[in-house]
Amino acid sequence: MIVDVHAHWGPWFFSMEVGAVAVNLAVMDRYGIDLAVVSATEAVVYDVRSGNRAMARVLETTDRFLGYLTVNPRRLADAERDLAELLPSGRFVGVKIHTDYSGSPVASARTRDALALVAAYDLPALVHTWDTTPLDLAQACADIPGLRVIAGHMGANGWRYAVEAANSVDRLWLEPCFSHTEAGRFAAVAAAVDPRRLLFGTDATLIDPAAAYGAVLAADLDPVTAERVAWRNAAELFRLDI
Amino acid sequence: MTVPAAGGPAVTVPAAEPCPVNPFVATDLPPVTLDVDVLVGRYADRPGPSGDPDAVVALLAGNGITGAAVASLRAALFDVTSGNDEVAALGGPVLPVGALDLRDPLGAEREIVRLAARGFRAVRLFPDEQGVQPDFPSVRHVARRATEAGLVILTGGDVRRYWRPLRGATVVFLDTHFYHLGDFVVVARDEPGFHTSTRLLNSPDALETVAAQLGVGRLLYGSRTPWQEPVVPRLRLARSGLDAAGVAAVAGGNARRLLGVAA
Repeated sequence: MIVDVHAHWGPWFFSMEVGAVAVNLAVMDRYGIDLAVVSATEAVVYDVRSGNRAMARVLETTDRFLGYLTVNPRRLADAERDLAELLPSGRFVGVKIHTDYSGSPVASARTRDALALVAAYDLPALVHTWDTTPLDLAQACADIPGLRVIAGHMGANGWRYAVEAANSVDRLWLEPCFSHTEAGRFAAVAAAVDPRRLLFGTDATLIDPAAAYGAVLAADLDPVTAERVAWRNAAELFRLDI
Repeated sequence: MTVPAAGGPAVTVPAAEPCPVNPFVATDLPPVTLDVDVLVGRYADRPGPSGDPDAVVALLAGNGITGAAVASLRAALFDVTSGNDEVAALGGPVLPVGALDLRDPLGAEREIVRLAARGFRAVRLFPDEQGVQPDFPSVRHVARRATEAGLVILTGGDVRRYWRPLRGATVVFLDTHFYHLGDFVVVARDEPGFHTSTRLLNSPDALETVAAQLGVGRLLYGSRTPWQEPVVPRLRLARSGLDAAGVAAVAGGNARRLLGVAA
C-alpha cells in the first residue's frame, strides 16, 4: 500500500500532456501507488472556485483519488463558501495552499488567516514550502491551536530547515517531492525527525513519481519506517480507514 | 481468533500483526553502460560528498553503472591541468572528460589542444559554477575550438540560453529541466548535434516526448553522481514507455556512439 499525499489532477502549462485522469492512474500504476490525495491544477494556478468544483466532479469518478480543497489566501470568502459547499461530499480530506501561485507567503497575514480557517475545520493542510519557509510554517503551527500541516517538498533545497521545523512542533509533517534529487536528502531527513512525521508525496502529474520514489528507495529505510512513509502516517493524519 | 484451550474455556488469541513490508522496491532497474554526468572532487561553497574518486567509483558500482564520463571539480573550480590529469589517471569505469575554465578562454584554448593530443573525447563546461553568462565571448569561442578539435561538449547551464553559443556543436546539455523541454525540442530540431541528459527530465512524459519529437538517440542517461541520486533517472528510464532497445540506448548505447567508446 502506498498513499501519495501530494498529487494534482489537471493540465500544466509546460510542454507536457498530463491533464487526464487516465494519466494520473497510469502514473500511479507505474509505481504501485494505490491512493493519491489530489488538488486541481486549475484551482492552484488560476481560479479556486471553478477549480475546486471541477475537482469535486472528478472525485466522483474514481475511488483512487481523495481531494484537497484548494484555498487561495487572497480569497478567503471563496474558501469559506467552498468548504461549506464541498466538504459534505466526504471526498475532500484536506486543504491545499500554494504560497507562490497565490502570491501569499507562509508568514503573511492572509496565509495565517487561511491556516486558522483550515484549523477550525480540523483539516490537514498541504502547504508549498521552499528554502527557509518550513520554519514559518512551524511558527504558524505553534501559534494556531490544532493546526496540522504538511510542509510540501519538505522545503525543497531547504530540507535542513524542514528538519528543524518538524522537530520544533508536533503537528508538522514532511513529504519529499522535488524535481532536483540531491543525494542523501531523504535519508538525512528520515534520520533526523520522528518517523511518524514522514509522508510520501510525488507532485504527480507535474513530476513523475520516480523522483520521490527514488529518493525514498535510496534512503534504504527499515520496513517499519518504510511502511509509515508509504501509508501508515498518511492514514493517521487524514483519518483514513485503510 | 478463538481457539479451545485443552481442559479449559476457549481463549481469544489476538490476530498476529502482519510483518511490516517495505513497499519501495525496484527490481527492474536497467544496467547503465555509460553515464555522461559524473564528477569527482568537492565544492568549497556547499555541503555534500567529498567526491573522493574511490568513493565515487564504489557508488557507481552500487548503482549498476559500469561506465562513466567523469570530470574533475578541481579542474572546474581551481586548476584545469592538474584536475584533468587527475581524471585521466583514473581507471576502471572512468572515461575521462576534460573540464575547461570559461573564465580563462586563452587557457582553455591551450587545454583543448592538450586534451585532444592526450586522446580525450569530450570536454565539460561549468558556466554556472564559474559565473559565466551565455553571451560572454568565451563561451562561443571555446565551443568553436572544442568542435574544431573533434571534442564532444558536455555542458551545464540553462538550455534556453546556452543553445545559442553552442550552435553547430555536438553537445549534451546536462541540466535540461522538464520545465524547459519544449525549448530544447524546438531548438534541437534545427541542431542535429544537440542531445540531452535525462537527469532532470523527470516528468511523466518527458523522455517519451523527446523520443517522439527527436528520436531516442538524443537521450543520454546522466546521474551527476555523487551529488544527485543516480537511482532516480534509472528508475524513470525503467518505467518509461521506451522499448528495451530504446532503454539500452539511453542507458549507454547513445553515449558510447557519441563518444566513440567501444561496446
